[in-house]
Amino acid sequence: MADLIPVTVLTGYLGAGKTTLLNRILTEQHGKRYAVVINEFGELGVDNDLVVESDEEVFEMNNGCACCTVRGDLIRIITALLKRRGRFDGIIVETTGLANPAPVAQTFFIDENLRAKTRLDAIVTVVDALNLGKRLQDSPEASAQIAFADVVVVNKTDLVSADELAAVEAQVREINHLVTILRAARGNVPIDQILGRGAFDLERVLEFAPDFLTDDSHLHNVDITSVSFSVKRPIDPDRFTKWIGALFAERGIDMLRTKGILAYPGENRRYAFQAVHEIADGAFIGPWKEGDQRDSKIVFIGRNLNRPQLRRGFEACQVDG
Amino acid sequence: MSQDLLAQRGISHGLEAYVVGAAWNRFGTRVGFGLGDGCVAVGGLSGDWPRFETHDGGLLAIAPDLAGGFLSGGDDGALCRTGLDGTISAIASFGSKWVEQVASFGDATSGLYACSAGKNLVLFDQAGQKLKELPHPSTVTGIAFDAKGKRVAASHYGGASLWYALAKTDNPRKLEWKGSHTAVTIHPGGDAVVTSMQENALHGWRLSDGQHMRMSGYPAKTGSLSWSRHGKWLASSGADAIVLWPFTGGGPMGKPPLELAQIPEIVCTQVAFHPHHEIVAAGYADGTVVMADVAGERVLRVKAPGNGEVSALAWNHQGTQLAFGTEDGLAGIVDLATR
Repeated sequence: MADLIPVTVLTGYLGAGKTTLLNRILTEQHGKRYAVVINEFGELGVDNDLVVESDEEVFEMNNGCACCTVRGDLIRIITALLKRRGRFDGIIVETTGLANPAPVAQTFFIDENLRAKTRLDAIVTVVDALNLGKRLQDSPEASAQIAFADVVVVNKTDLVSADELAAVEAQVREINHLVTILRAARGNVPIDQILGRGAFDLERVLEFAPDFLTDDSHLHNVDITSVSFSVKRPIDPDRFTKWIGALFAERGIDMLRTKGILAYPGENRRYAFQAVHEIADGAFIGPWKEGDQRDSKIVFIGRNLNRPQLRRGFEACQVDG
Repeated sequence: MSQDLLAQRGISHGLEAYVVGAAWNRFGTRVGFGLGDGCVAVGGLSGDWPRFETHDGGLLAIAPDLAGGFLSGGDDGALCRTGLDGTISAIASFGSKWVEQVASFGDATSGLYACSAGKNLVLFDQAGQKLKELPHPSTVTGIAFDAKGKRVAASHYGGASLWYALAKTDNPRKLEWKGSHTAVTIHPGGDAVVTSMQENALHGWRLSDGQHMRMSGYPAKTGSLSWSRHGKWLASSGADAIVLWPFTGGGPMGKPPLELAQIPEIVCTQVAFHPHHEIVAAGYADGTVVMADVAGERVLRVKAPGNGEVSALAWNHQGTQLAFGTEDGLAGIVDLATR
């Protein structure tokens, strides 16, 4: 697994400070070399022979699934970059401000060559503390970028008051209550908190799942929300697969990200599950700790989530241990 | 255990870089190994294997040039020729656009060079003068000349485009099929165009009537395609055997493919038909290289497993030497001439 090249996806609305952050990553002395796939050279002030300019080419797969989209350009470019092994330690993919992050994330689930040789490390979304509210209202991509994020960098914190900052962070959490929030002014976040996080690593799903909310206090000003459930009795794998499969088949377009840790009956290991739209992935990870509550947990981030229905569905997957 | 052919009658060198592709020069005497570090290493059965720094960056594709050397494209945006003596000349530079595909046809007195640069297929004459840039709806992922050099095909998202290379007005025949097409080849008799796809399948168009040919069922990605001399068979990678589709008697529609040289659970990554006989060479993900006789279904081992996935495989045009290269940088040549 150590051979897998980590890929960090950097998203954020135009003007949020993505390029500033990227310039910092590329100039700071951290002893690592990154290949960078960018959308346009534009303001990038760094002379780096491993910067690749790319047109974002979002391709549908020919398999009848409308949400099965991939970034064809990334498949080509990263496959080629991997043939220059040893020249770099990781890959950073910058998306345009208007990009929906789903095709990027799905690319690393769907393409078998990239699956075999790279790992999606984290989706990092830069937001602008001053303008986030406006962006969320005028652009559906802005909330999707937060929904898909593993890390949200709230930038330009020096331009807002403490109360305003708290409100911005509440808006971020409302869309994605799993996300790690980092505060920054002019992109000054510690680079090691952005790169090499392993946030997409199934073994670490739990670490990034903070409190599973039980109350439902929504501000109702954004269309994307997250809901999460925790159940006590073990989950029957067949029932779960059937339920989640039917749910994704019907609602895949609305389900942006799903992550869960499941306790199967008679199984000492935790089962980690995650999906981007209906592209799902799962694996057994480390054992439950002795004496731990073996609660199964699941989080959905998406549009028009019917909380009672999802809860009933998940609860019905339980069996007697 | 019997020794493999490489040990008996071959030579190999560690090139310390990913072997992106192998191309024999047009005389079939020396082979150019295109390397992930931008170099072209020139190999032969005897003598040194010099290594030339052709590209400032990574090399992405290699083919013979028209003079006896090699044509290559790189992520430095350059389309270059590398002579056997190491003379490097740039035919064109496309700046920040990568040159991901290259092809050539003909000889030094009358021939064509082709390369991709983003969404364009660019054609040059034998002297390297640009003739035309042919646009496509998305990035060009594969280029193939037909057997006569009259037509050239480009694969891209949504299908392939078939152009007359020297037409006065450029109007492609659009071969459409939903999905992302990743490589292209033209039947030696001009009967069909076939692409490999992102979805572990091949797709073909019969040119006489536009009939679609769906060739699916691969467990892994396809990408390496090779025709038998007259186009009776199309060999392909992407399964744990060499998959051969019959293009005779109305096939491949309604006919199962022939599978040769199965190595259970090990994916075939490269195929190369012998230029004259119905013998196909194949490389696998574990580093094995074999030759298989289509009619007799006999299999000879050329190279034992190891040294990483086979990433390049090519016969010289006489069919007397077979070159291979691997991801871990081993490159070799096996001499199959009658002694």
